[in-house]
Amino acid sequence: MTTTEDAIATGRARGPRRVPGQPDMWVFVLFESLVFTSYFCVYLFFRTQHERAFLQAQSHLLLWLGVIDTIVLLTSSWTVATCVRHARAGRYDAAKRDALLTAGLGVLFLALKIVEWVRLIHAGHTFTSSEFFQYYFFLTAIHCVHLLIGFVVLGVLASQLTDPKRRVQESVETCATYWHTVDFFWVLIFALLYVVR
Amino acid sequence: VKRLAWRDNPKRELWLAWYATIAFYNLYTIVFFIITRTQPPGKPWYDPNQVVGWFAGRHDGLLVGFALIFTLGGLSATSIALITYSIRRMSVSRAFAYSYLILYSVSAVPGFLFICVAMTVGAMRPDRNPAVQQWIYDFGFLSFSGTMGVFLIGSLIWMTAILLDKNGVLPKWFGYLNLCNALTEVVIAPSWIFHRGVFAWNGVIAWWIDVGVFGLYTGAFIYLLRNLIIREDFGSGPLPELAMKRTGTPVQAEIAVP
Repeated sequence: MTTTEDAIATGRARGPRRVPGQPDMWVFVLFESLVFTSYFCVYLFFRTQHERAFLQAQSHLLLWLGVIDTIVLLTSSWTVATCVRHARAGRYDAAKRDALLTAGLGVLFLALKIVEWVRLIHAGHTFTSSEFFQYYFFLTAIHCVHLLIGFVVLGVLASQLTDPKRRVQESVETCATYWHTVDFFWVLIFALLYVVR
Repeated sequence: VKRLAWRDNPKRELWLAWYATIAFYNLYTIVFFIITRTQPPGKPWYDPNQVVGWFAGRHDGLLVGFALIFTLGGLSATSIALITYSIRRMSVSRAFAYSYLILYSVSAVPGFLFICVAMTVGAMRPDRNPAVQQWIYDFGFLSFSGTMGVFLIGSLIWMTAILLDKNGVLPKWFGYLNLCNALTEVVIAPSWIFHRGVFAWNGVIAWWIDVGVFGLYTGAFIYLLRNLIIREDFGSGPLPELAMKRTGTPVQAEIAVP
């Protein structure tokens, strides 16, 4: 097994790297960020048009639940970062455990989201009930689609970490980059939907 | 001599398909945006009388434009064929290429042809009950915008093939761009529910942003397919990199001798 020192030495031997993971993944990150930014701009524009109605609808969201969602996802970002660090040090079992822990936190986030959706729907706040909830359900649902893709990405990561022939540090970092992107989008969605009043 | 060289060029069929793809997308843009003015889409909240007026205002354009599509729309097959060819050139199972080909061929019926038929019917039967005209209007736009989800799996198949490929046929960033495009196919789904607003079939999120993404995606794959043809060596291994002359023009790859 490669030691931490060896890995660091190998890293130095490769020379400085510009971005972690495949640069191609960063194209996805930038492009998807642009798409999400356009959604946020549309949301903020219509929010300024009907500020009172948006504020009233927003008051039905539970801020503490959003905070828990955020803590869960930020913790998953930390575990995936730990996964990268462990893989870099050649500690692949620990890295695989971190990847699975990340997926577990993702599942917890998804479960919390479903609980929140069910609660809101039972209270009469649906996709069509008000303009604010159109955006709420759209943004949280499209984020959850990204999260589901993230489970596939973490599955690929765990499978590569299991097989010594397929372990590539760049691939580990690419998967982690995707997961961080999902977290990043959530933090923005949380700020816009739950916090901004 | 140049003419003879062209005749012997084994890439001429590929170039023919590529230029046909260019011709198709130009035809598509001109017909939908200029001649028939069916894009951007009509207002989803129009009542029956407004729909009758909408058809009357575009009567000639609808007939001329969609006549062109019925005659030349088959050119769309060339872009699907070239994309299928790109997947065949990759180091992945042929099942990817066949799945893509079948999916996109089938998807073109609700996603492209239904609107042409529906709008032509509306234009050619102006004497029909306005309620029926409104039904045809809804059917046309909902089949065009609302069924974009049928292209979702096709994009994901192309993405997976690109990411698994070891021949470097298309860049990995384009694989990820396929994912961005596939996600916009999900975003269009609420257009079935809403009659107005950002999620309606002409809405900012459901239409304008999606069209922006689709335009970039289409431009990117047409450019990359051109590079693929230039780099094609008709071998089965990795494709050579795109070599450039000092003038900045790409150099055609050497053809592999079997």
